[in-house]
Amino acid sequence: MNPGDRMRIHDMVLGLFFITLAVMMIAFTGTFPAFPGQKYGPALFPRIIGVGILLCGALLFWRGWRNPAPNGDRRAFAFSPAFSERTRLVSFLLVPGGIVFYLLLAERLGFIPTAFILLCSLFFWFRVKPIPTLILAIIMTYGMQWFFGTMMRVPLPRGLFMQVLYGG
Amino acid sequence: MSAAILTAFGLVFDPYVLGVILASAIFGLFVGAMPGLTATMATALLVPITFFMSPVPALGAIVTATAMAIFAGDIPASMLRMPGTPASAAYADESYAMAKKGQLELNLGVNLVFSAAGGIFGVIVLIVAAPSLAELALNFSSFEYFWLACLGLTCAIFISGGDPVKGFLSLFIGLAIGCIGIDPAAGYPRFTFGNVDLMSGINFIPVMIGVFAVSELMRGVMSIEKAGEFVQDKVGALFRGLGTVTRKYWMNALRGSAVGTLIGALPGAGADIAAWVSYAMAKRFSKEPEKFGTGHVEGVVEATSANNSAVGAAWIPALVFGIPGDSITAIVIGVLYMKGMNPGPTVFLQNPQFIYAVFIIFILANLLMLPLGYAAIRGARKLLTVPKNILMPIILLFCIVGSFAMTNSPYGILLMLIFGVIGWLMEENGIPVAPLILGLVLGELLEQSFMTSMIKSDGAFLVFFQRPIAGILGAVTLAIWAIMLWRAFQRRTPAKA
Repeated sequence: MNPGDRMRIHDMVLGLFFITLAVMMIAFTGTFPAFPGQKYGPALFPRIIGVGILLCGALLFWRGWRNPAPNGDRRAFAFSPAFSERTRLVSFLLVPGGIVFYLLLAERLGFIPTAFILLCSLFFWFRVKPIPTLILAIIMTYGMQWFFGTMMRVPLPRGLFMQVLYGG
Repeated sequence: MSAAILTAFGLVFDPYVLGVILASAIFGLFVGAMPGLTATMATALLVPITFFMSPVPALGAIVTATAMAIFAGDIPASMLRMPGTPASAAYADESYAMAKKGQLELNLGVNLVFSAAGGIFGVIVLIVAAPSLAELALNFSSFEYFWLACLGLTCAIFISGGDPVKGFLSLFIGLAIGCIGIDPAAGYPRFTFGNVDLMSGINFIPVMIGVFAVSELMRGVMSIEKAGEFVQDKVGALFRGLGTVTRKYWMNALRGSAVGTLIGALPGAGADIAAWVSYAMAKRFSKEPEKFGTGHVEGVVEATSANNSAVGAAWIPALVFGIPGDSITAIVIGVLYMKGMNPGPTVFLQNPQFIYAVFIIFILANLLMLPLGYAAIRGARKLLTVPKNILMPIILLFCIVGSFAMTNSPYGILLMLIFGVIGWLMEENGIPVAPLILGLVLGELLEQSFMTSMIKSDGAFLVFFQRPIAGILGAVTLAIWAIMLWRAFQRRTPAKA
C-alpha cells in the first residue's frame, strides 16, 4: 500500500492535537491532591507522561511545519481514494456501525435477536447468498449464546426476547 | 524441582488440557494461514475464552495457537504470495518464486520442518535461560525494575526501526491510558470524571481486541473481494529433497534459530523482525547471494527458523521480569495478571509447576506442528478459499461478545470500539500500535517502581544508578536514548535538503 492510499492527517494537525491533549492532561493533574509528608503524589507520573506527549506533539508539529508536503500533499486530511467508492465506504463504516448498532439495541432486544440481525445484515451486504446467510446467522448466534452465555456464564443481555420466551 | 516437573506433566497431560491444546492448534493454523488475520489477532481473539480457564490450559492455548500461526503464515506466502502473518512477509516473495519454479512442495516442507526445529531451539534456550535469569532477578529492587521497564519500552521503539517520534508518542499514549483509574501508589482516582467504569481502569483486553482485531477488520473489509491466484492445485510429496537441503543449509538453520532467539528475547521485537533480520543475514553471508529473490531456498531456511524460534524466546523476558518480548507476550502478561500470577522471578519460586508446564506445552506444540502442519498444507487449498465475506462478520460478533465478557457490561464493547477506531487512525498515520499496548501493560509496573524508588531515594536521581545492576541497566537505557536522539537529528538532515 503506498502512502497515498491511506487516510492521512497532516503532521501539523496531529502535532497540534497532541499538544492540546497534553496541556489538558497536565492542567488536570493540578486537581490531584498532594499527600502531607510525601513529596511525590499521584500527579507526578501523569505529568511526566504529559510532558512526553507534549514533546512528541511539538516535534511532529515542527516537522510538519518544516516539510509541509512530504508526499506532495499539503491537505490537513487526505482520504484514501478507496473511500470515494460508495461500496467500500459503506463496508468500512459497517464495522464501527455494527458495534454501535449492537450497543444501542442489545440491552433492549436481547443478545439473540441483535446478533442475528447484525450477522444477517453484514452477510447480506457482503453478498453471501440468502440460504447460507440464514443458516450461518442462526448457527453462529446460537453457538455464541451457548458458549459464552451458557458455558462461560457471561450475562449476555436477555432483553425482550428472553422475557417473551421465558417470561422474565 | 523434580516434584514440580512431575506436577507440571500431570497438569499438561490431562485430557481437558490436551483437548484445549489441540483445538488451539487448529485455530492457530487457520488464523495464521488466512492472509489478513495475524498471530497477534489469534491471541487477542483467544483471550476472552482463556479468561474462563485455569492458568495451564489458558497459557497452553496461547502458546500453541501462536506457534502454529507463525508457521501457518508461510503457507499462503508460497501458494498465493500473500503472507498469512507479518512474520512471513520477509520471505514471501522468495517462497512464491520457489513455488513458481515448481518447488512448492520443497518450500512448504522446508517451512514446516525448520519452523518446528527453530521453535524447539527457542524453547530450549527459554528452558535453560529463564530459571537462571530468574535467580538473578530475585535480587532486583525497584531501581532495577524501573530501568528494566524503561529499557523494555525503549527497545520496543528502537528495534522496530520506524519513526521514533511516533513510536514514543504511541508509548506515551499507552502509559497515559494506563494512568486512568485508581493510582497504584496513593489510591487516588485519576482521570475518572466520577465515572464508575473508569474507576476500575481501562481494561486492557477490550483495548487490545479493538487495536488488533477491530482495526484489522476495518482495513480488511475494504478489500474483501481480493483473492489470490493459486500456483498449483495439488500438493505433492512434502519431504522429498529435504535431506539435501538440511545437509547443505544446516548452518543457516542454526544461525537463523540463534538470531531469532536473540531478537525474540529482546523486549519489544518479535517474530516478524526476526524473520527480516535473518533473511538479510542469510543473503549477506551466502556464497550465492545473486540467487536470492529467484526462488532460492537458503534464505527461507534461515528466516523460517528465526521467526519460530522468536516465539519461544519472547517468553524469556515476559516470564522472568514481567516485561513483554513482543505484542503477543504483552497479551500473555495481561493474562498472567488476570490469573493472579504476577509475572516475575517470584513465579519461579511460588508456582514453578506453571513455568514447567509452559515449557512442556511449548515442546509439545512444536512437535504437534509436524503432523498438524502437514495436514494443514494438504488441506490448504480448501482452507484458503474460506470466503472472507463470511469470516469478517463472524469475527466482528466474536469481538463484541468477547469484549463484553471481560467487563460483563457494554463498557467493554465501548472501549473496544473507541480503541478500534484509534488503532485504525494510528496505523493509517504510521503510528505503531504495539508500543501503546506495551505502555498500557507496563504502565503500572513502571509507575510503581518509579514512585517507590523516588520515595526511597528522596528524589535524588543519582541513587537510581548506585546499585551495580541498576547502574548498568540505567547506563544502557540512557545510551539507547542518546543514540535515538542522535538518529532523530540525522534523519532531519536529509529532510531539509
